[in-house]
Amino acid sequence: MNSVSVLAAPEIHAPPVEFSQLAPMLIVFGAAIVGVLAEAFVARPARYAVQFPLALVGLAAAFCWTLWLGFSEKPQHAAADGAVAVDGPTLFIQGTILVLAMLSLLLIAERAQDAFTAQAAALPGSEAEQESMADGGIQTEIFPLTLFAVGGMMLFPAANDLLTMFVGLEVMSLPLYLLCGLARRRRLLSQEAAVKYFLLGAFSSAFFLYGTALLYGYAGSVRLSAISAALSRSGGSETLLLAGVALLSVGLLFKIGAVPFHPWKPDVYQGAPTPITALMASCTVVAAVGAALRVFYVAFETLRWDWRPMMWGVAILTMMVGAIVAITQTDIKRMLAYSSIAHGGFLLTGIVATSESGLSATLFYLAAYGFTTVGAFAIVTMVRDTTGEAGHLGRWAGLGRRSPVIAGIFAFFLLAFAGIPLTSGFTGKFAVFQAAADGGAVPLVIVGVLSSAIAAFFYVRVIVVMFFSEPEPDAPSVVTTATTATAVALGLTATVVLGVLPQPMLDLAGQAATQLFVR
Amino acid sequence: MTAQEIVFLLLGVVTVGSAVLVVTTRRLVHAALWLVVSFGALAGSYLVLTAEFVAWAQVLIYVGAVVVLLLFGVMLTEAPIGRSDALDSGNRWAALAIATATAGVLVTVVVRGFKDAYLPPRPGGGTAGVIGSSVFRGWVLPLEVLSLLLLATLVGAIVLSRTDVVREPSDDHDDHDDHGDPADHGDHDGQGRGDA
Amino acid sequence: MTPEMKGFLLVSVIKMLVVFTVIMVGVALLTLMERKVSAWMQNRRGPNRVGPAGLLQPAADGLKNILKEETFPALANRWLFLLAPAMSFIPALLLSAVIPFGAPLPLDFDFTLGPLGQFVHQGPMPLVVADLPIGFLFVLAISSMGVYGIALAGWSSNSKYSLLGGLRASAQMVSYEVPLALSLIPVLLLAGNVNFSAIVQGQQAGLWYVLPLFLSFFIFLISGLAETNRVPFDLPEAEAELIAGYHTEYSAMKFSFFFIAEYANVVTVCAMVTTLFFGGWDIPFTRWDESGGVLQTLATAASFFVKVMFWIFFVMWIRWTLPRFRYDQLMALGWKVLLPLALAYIMVICVAIYVLDRFTGLTDPITQSLGLFGLNVVIAVLVFGLLDRGVFVRGSARQRRALEATARRPQVVT
Repeated sequence: MNSVSVLAAPEIHAPPVEFSQLAPMLIVFGAAIVGVLAEAFVARPARYAVQFPLALVGLAAAFCWTLWLGFSEKPQHAAADGAVAVDGPTLFIQGTILVLAMLSLLLIAERAQDAFTAQAAALPGSEAEQESMADGGIQTEIFPLTLFAVGGMMLFPAANDLLTMFVGLEVMSLPLYLLCGLARRRRLLSQEAAVKYFLLGAFSSAFFLYGTALLYGYAGSVRLSAISAALSRSGGSETLLLAGVALLSVGLLFKIGAVPFHPWKPDVYQGAPTPITALMASCTVVAAVGAALRVFYVAFETLRWDWRPMMWGVAILTMMVGAIVAITQTDIKRMLAYSSIAHGGFLLTGIVATSESGLSATLFYLAAYGFTTVGAFAIVTMVRDTTGEAGHLGRWAGLGRRSPVIAGIFAFFLLAFAGIPLTSGFTGKFAVFQAAADGGAVPLVIVGVLSSAIAAFFYVRVIVVMFFSEPEPDAPSVVTTATTATAVALGLTATVVLGVLPQPMLDLAGQAATQLFVR
Repeated sequence: MTAQEIVFLLLGVVTVGSAVLVVTTRRLVHAALWLVVSFGALAGSYLVLTAEFVAWAQVLIYVGAVVVLLLFGVMLTEAPIGRSDALDSGNRWAALAIATATAGVLVTVVVRGFKDAYLPPRPGGGTAGVIGSSVFRGWVLPLEVLSLLLLATLVGAIVLSRTDVVREPSDDHDDHDDHGDPADHGDHDGQGRGDA
Repeated sequence: MTPEMKGFLLVSVIKMLVVFTVIMVGVALLTLMERKVSAWMQNRRGPNRVGPAGLLQPAADGLKNILKEETFPALANRWLFLLAPAMSFIPALLLSAVIPFGAPLPLDFDFTLGPLGQFVHQGPMPLVVADLPIGFLFVLAISSMGVYGIALAGWSSNSKYSLLGGLRASAQMVSYEVPLALSLIPVLLLAGNVNFSAIVQGQQAGLWYVLPLFLSFFIFLISGLAETNRVPFDLPEAEAELIAGYHTEYSAMKFSFFFIAEYANVVTVCAMVTTLFFGGWDIPFTRWDESGGVLQTLATAASFFVKVMFWIFFVMWIRWTLPRFRYDQLMALGWKVLLPLALAYIMVICVAIYVLDRFTGLTDPITQSLGLFGLNVVIAVLVFGLLDRGVFVRGSARQRRALEATARRPQVVT
């Protein structure tokens, strides 16, 4: 009491923290913090030149470390006193998120046509806004914010207890809420999207948290393995358990964007700056599905006869609603958003399978879909007219004649979304449906195939518009820059390779899945 | 019924009652003040359950900071002394129905879930020492990540509110000063806006 | 109820009464002291007509305030208007409950009091109303509630001056709460406890924390002054611009309640400074005061009283010496100087304590404190001498230069 030695006090010992296993996350967070410092101390004109390489190097370093972890060690235990599970699926998901985040970062860093506002605080339409636009500045804070979000996305599916998962969820979501509101054009729409996303997201977080509290009441712990153990003892109160699972599922399904928790998705995808939409459509979906996988595979596996019917319903609804509503869309970003909802449904079928093959199929699907979607949104940023991106589908008419390469690539991405053979989409869908069918969910597979057919209709419609109608006189032109082109090229390569030669990636996913989840 | 249970019950009544007043009163500032009462009574309930640390943290954060900022915001924008009819929403019956239904579900779940399970409060179970050793051992990683969340939030708040992003102050020669240069920046920006 | 519990209750009630009385009477006398001190500083006599040397002046003032007419602005919010003075007063009183004001008093009694039954008390009685194990958090929580009284007074008066005063006050108090709380953390680190009695004990064993934690003391004192809305931070009631700010519309006893609250706050802040940084009731250079006994208790209580009086005098001294800050300077000082300074200081002290503990082998508290003191000297020289280039020591010299620079710049005509 009377000495200076507080650290020597007997009660608190430093907990074991396996820094090596947590390193990918720590690197991303560290890069984010360095980015914040750079914001404070680097002169404004030089900031972009510092931030972009910093973020890219941080993500790349984290990815390399993830690879090293995946191939060298046997990462089979929960790190940081059991808070984070570093296992096969975690590493696969984290690696996927990191690569996709790098691609999105290329879009975010695009300088030739900024997607981001020069000054978020300036009122839309005000003099200050025009001044700041004319000044050519850029809000470089987007880089650290993106890194924070990516770090949260890496923690979210890796969390081994519900509380850590909640923290990951918040770290992932909060920067995204903000980034959604920073679009350079159509700022009111963008700000509306941010507020909508924020309010609904906060609401869903509350559901998640309430579910966590009820499950804590049931199991006496928030650790996933402890909940699973409590389930197998089958003591405790059924009411708490079922209500907890339901509320928790609401929180998770919201982030995946499953029907009926989807209405935010089209509005937010449309309003957000397109690079951020790409980030959300790829990385956030990967993280959310990864977390859902962990929760349903680890904590509630023994309860699957209870949650499967609910999941069936949600998956069927999601696939059908996503595919059908997409047909009526006239805005390209909204259409892609509904397509993303439908894909969330396909991913849910993988979760319903609750088997090793289901896990590996879902992992593969996540990677394949992520690359394709980043590529598609990258092309959306390239097709521009005087008011910015040409959002309306009608403006894309005749694009195939003016710039056949870009239109061709976009058509290829759309075919991959539809699941045409020789694209990654086909392989992914095939793997997921096969696993689901093996798991006894044949009706689900039938609905899936049906909705794929419906979806193919509107994808093909876009292709028809692009190639078989006359371009308008003031039709948008395609602006190609190095960074965006790189992102498109990488997305295209991944889509082709995973479609033509899927075996190595399938093996990787299978290997990750054999390790299953740590408990 | 022990004295403790009676106090707990009374605090519960105060919490719920003032919460109802928050949404029914037609005076904006009164709503904020009833919120204070509600939060305070909640903190009192924590105290009765021997969760000292949480109780005072609740007072510090919610009563002392959150509602003060709320009041501050209300006073800066519009704080009519009398009733404001704009606070009445046409959706109130729908809202009432939904609120009642939610409350019904949650209360049923909790009551049916815990039935007659009873956990006697342990004196000293919620002191700073216990909370500290738990937070800095098992929960150290989430805690540290939470601090990152706060950092991200701060950065976000600055992004959304800073108006001098583009115009460089002409005498920005000492941006690298460790402790900033308070007078210079704060005031100078005001100047810049004034000119424009 | 057990006899022990009854004894504890009895003792607690007596302690409450004593503390309450001392503070109330003390506050009344402080108004006199303030006027005397100001008079002394301005080379005049001050009040000297009522009673011997003006000693009865507070009583006369009190009588006057009670007899004055209570006024209510016509469109005020009556309930809150009445409640606000009380709300600004309560936190100050509550805070005084956790401050230990003397060495534990050995107290044994065992008696029966008619129908009330038996009362028993054994062992040393701590001279603090409530020896909360969570002391510091309580202090932060309660002091954060002080803002309500002033903000509500400003709002409920329904007058623009009052509202502006209330707004200023809330902004100021919320801003300075942060450095205030952060400046406490090094103290907790050094004491290894969050309880005030333990903090005093820690200072008895080593040096007073003002030496090893000088910058904390510095930040705490400034933030404390700002929290109490005293000069040089009394912008909420700046008469020149706001016509007395939040209490413009108040009269009679309600008005004097704000004054009582202000002085009670001053007493509490000074008592906190004493407890946290000047050894509390510790009598320096002797261990005699720790041996326990009635005499020791009285001596330590006197020592505490003297220290608090010194700080109260210090606060008054500042009031009659320094001019008022400008509002933007005030905010800048809080957010851009004190806050980063406090944060950086926490880091430095953490590292220093760790290094001293683990690597130097200096386990004796006094040597450790001296080591930290050396560090503080270095930091103080760095902060005040090198980093500060006329920002917060030489006032607004820089600002003037900046303004001149703007003046030289061609003006934009709009």
